[in-house]
Amino acid sequence: MKMPRTSIFFGFGVLTALAAGWLVFPRALYERREQPFRFPHKTHAEKSGTSACNDCHTLGKDGEFAGIPKTKDCATCHADRMGSSPAEALLVDNYVKRGRETPWLVYSRQPANVRFSHAIHTRLAGMTCRDCHGAEGESDAVPVYEQNRISGYSRDIWGHSISRLRRAPGDGMKMSDCENCHRRHGVDAGCLGCHE
Amino acid sequence: MKARYGMAIDLDRCTGCGACMVACASENNVPRLPKATERTGITPMLVHPVSDGKTGVAFIPMPCMQCEDETPCVKVCPQQAVELDRATGIVMQMPQRCLGCRYCMTACPYHSRYFNWWDPAWPAGMERTLNPGVAVRMRGVVEKCNMCHARLHAAEDKAAEAGKRQIEAADYVPACVESCPTGAIRFGDLNDGASEVAKASRTPEAFRLLARLGTEPKIYYTSKRAWVRALAERHPAGEPSQPAAPVAAGGGEVKHG
Amino acid sequence: MIPTRRDLFAWGGGLAGGMLFTPVPWKVLDDVSIWSQNWPWIPQPARGPVEEKLSSCTLCPNACGMRVRMAAGSPVGLSGMAGHPVSRGALCPLGFGAHQLNWHPSRLRNPLHRGRKTSWEEATAAFRKALGEGPIAIIDGRTGRAASTVLERFAAAHGATYAAARTAEEKALGPYQRWTGVPTSSLGYDLENARTIVSFGAPLLDGWATPGRFTRLWSERAAGSSNPALRLIQVEPVQSRTAAFAWRWVNVRMGSESALASALARVLMEERLVTARGPMPSESVNELAGKTGLAAETIQSLARALVERGPVVAISAGDNPSVAALNVVLGAVGARGGILRRGGGTKSPVPVEALSGRMRAVLIDSTVPWEVRPNVDAEVFRFAAWHGGTTTADWLLPAPGFLEALTDVPTPPASAIETYAVATPLMAAEGSKDAARFLAEIDPAAGSLEDAIKARCEAIYHAGKGGLIGPEPQPVKGLASADKLYEALGNGAVWTGEAGTPGGLRCDLKEWPGPSAMESPAGWTDGWTAPVLPPLAAKLYRESDLRQAPARSDV
Repeated sequence: MKMPRTSIFFGFGVLTALAAGWLVFPRALYERREQPFRFPHKTHAEKSGTSACNDCHTLGKDGEFAGIPKTKDCATCHADRMGSSPAEALLVDNYVKRGRETPWLVYSRQPANVRFSHAIHTRLAGMTCRDCHGAEGESDAVPVYEQNRISGYSRDIWGHSISRLRRAPGDGMKMSDCENCHRRHGVDAGCLGCHE
Repeated sequence: MKARYGMAIDLDRCTGCGACMVACASENNVPRLPKATERTGITPMLVHPVSDGKTGVAFIPMPCMQCEDETPCVKVCPQQAVELDRATGIVMQMPQRCLGCRYCMTACPYHSRYFNWWDPAWPAGMERTLNPGVAVRMRGVVEKCNMCHARLHAAEDKAAEAGKRQIEAADYVPACVESCPTGAIRFGDLNDGASEVAKASRTPEAFRLLARLGTEPKIYYTSKRAWVRALAERHPAGEPSQPAAPVAAGGGEVKHG
Repeated sequence: MIPTRRDLFAWGGGLAGGMLFTPVPWKVLDDVSIWSQNWPWIPQPARGPVEEKLSSCTLCPNACGMRVRMAAGSPVGLSGMAGHPVSRGALCPLGFGAHQLNWHPSRLRNPLHRGRKTSWEEATAAFRKALGEGPIAIIDGRTGRAASTVLERFAAAHGATYAAARTAEEKALGPYQRWTGVPTSSLGYDLENARTIVSFGAPLLDGWATPGRFTRLWSERAAGSSNPALRLIQVEPVQSRTAAFAWRWVNVRMGSESALASALARVLMEERLVTARGPMPSESVNELAGKTGLAAETIQSLARALVERGPVVAISAGDNPSVAALNVVLGAVGARGGILRRGGGTKSPVPVEALSGRMRAVLIDSTVPWEVRPNVDAEVFRFAAWHGGTTTADWLLPAPGFLEALTDVPTPPASAIETYAVATPLMAAEGSKDAARFLAEIDPAAGSLEDAIKARCEAIYHAGKGGLIGPEPQPVKGLASADKLYEALGNGAVWTGEAGTPGGLRCDLKEWPGPSAMESPAGWTDGWTAPVLPPLAAKLYRESDLRQAPARSDV
């Protein structure tokens, strides 16, 4: 039986859409932006003996999470060049010596009305850094920052799988991800718990 | 343990200086728009001057009344943009979820809700003074007093850092309470019978605004002056004044003088 | 095979249908909705670690202790410093919005010469020229500061007149200075020990002196009580907010405060309610009562109420010798609960009102309230951080704004206890310069602010009295050196000396003073040296009607 010509074109259209939607769209949606310089977590853990995450990513006495260390923290070791890596040269010349902060692109950046407490999740819920951040602490370079061209947020918020079906743990930081985990652990934070 | 945060405002102590209003606006990144008027401006805390028509004067600071039951705004919101938080008793408005229908403003018997008629704006450079704990709202959404819950979050973080689930009462003090130069606004957990606010709410001088509506506000007022207490249940012209007996927290009747 | 129009439609249909099975519509919908919640033109707070610093408010002389919340290098919130000996953890309503002032649209950024932009070099040259031709005057708004030392030293070295503007509280203490020779900056009210306070129009609950001091006291001892431990009697022609919350409000005729004070003194002496004897007001009680609009009986019962529960002290809104004389009659001068002499203080300079005639130039410091205009014909060099509207100043020179420059904070007026604090700059002051620095650049012999503050620290350290209040409270004797004191003050500690004690202040009247002119009632903005209000305060006051007469009934 001969397929009607219309069906062929229709089917072709469907295939085009599927190819564009699943293959082209995810690439087109995100703009790849390089971080200011390469940062090897692994080298730092090995050479400085700072293997615990919170040696640098500190949680203050008041429970405020400091996030990425400031230039003055880097300068405690890197006041001057210690090695020969071009990344370190960039850090020392562009940021430490000029007293500027490194404009890191933050993968976890959420809208201003979102509140996430590292203190509660690590101290009270007993979660480890690895539960959400994976093996980032052993990486040799921080990943490329992929910025959503529409919303302006990092790809890490939606998660790397565009379908959001099969994802590694900790991949994705949308409200539904928070809610699902909270539901699994029977913790009800209400709206107030996570929103300012 | 679940908390029910509330206030007991001593109207005999309030001199109407307005420090609470300024501190509130500063804490909550309320914009200053020259075109905003008395009707269109945003004042999550607003001090109303009242008088007995003679020489008696009182000032009534009015934040959101944080209604406990039948919370009118929660009931009518089609967006679930407002909810009564069961852990703290705070009626929490989430402006980012609001679609701007203003049904809640109509429903609120206390006029404690405000609509953002314009996008917020500050004179050049002044955005640097914005409080990083509070998100700025946009045009077209409703906002109100959220009991400075950014401060609650900070207190929770601090407690968590020390491995505790219970916050220290001293760590969570809303801006208006902190700013009051006469200590007229007392704040605390109404469930904690020993707290100053719970004690104040049980005195015969305590009353709540429009208690007859049954919204169970968690903002209590206290005054030794009978005419001030009588203002709580004033009936608008035309409405038949029912002989409703407003019930004070302790279950006793409030004496109207 | 050439596709037909029909084929194209079929393909398009397939495309549209197929799209529904791709993430495109759903993801785009999600992203667009997120974008729409975060309009790029809506300012968002800067992210950064929040830290808290202690400092003192420098916008008026009343020296409230402040906690400053800083984020990303800018102050984002102010609150009172608990435990401060004078302000007691309170700030005035304007103070809570003060951190916004630096970005007020009226902020002066460039030196202006008669409204035209000019440079610091031109201003300096013009001032040098005027200095060479003379005579000039230098006007200070707050005496006793390190900057005052610089201004005064410069004036002395160049034959200039050093004059000062005074706040209403300082003016009210003027008669005692004239009668006892003790400068007003060494006088204070012992409110904490008074049990009856009669205020002649002083806005005690509405921004009088350091606001937290009296409001906290009133709240603890008087609020809501019909028989309070602290009786506040307010004499005022209008029902101000202080009058509304006073124990008794005495509604007198406008400008008759002097007459009432005289009448009260006469009754007190005639009825022998006080032990004091001395010159009496020349007019009879009935004559004086006629002026006030009160019945003589009312004044008599008021006089009895005054002495019913001592110690009693009278406070006037401004320089009112009759009220001061009433204090002498009441025995409140130099007595517990009255007017005390405390440590510190400096000799009072020439008051700005005394300047007159022709001068070559007048330099006005930024601490002088905008309204104060010396009555002289001269070229005016006016320092100010904000443009306050109409001005007769030839030169407007941008001074550092709020918390932008190092300044010290001496004892606030009317305080019974000596204090000293330092406000360090928390932000950079671009293109601005204060008068002390301007003058020190012209003549380095005038000295620097840092040195003057250090000298004061040395003096306090060597006197060894009092202690520090703040992050690490300790007595001065416990400090290792004067530099440690300087350092601690820079971190927001407040030095507190010893409280004034009764005695050491004697005052005898030679004759009963004549009536004084009415002082306009002051308020929060009295002594507020910024000519503009914090934007939030201006907006909120308008919306709440708080600054209108409160006699409105509308919930």
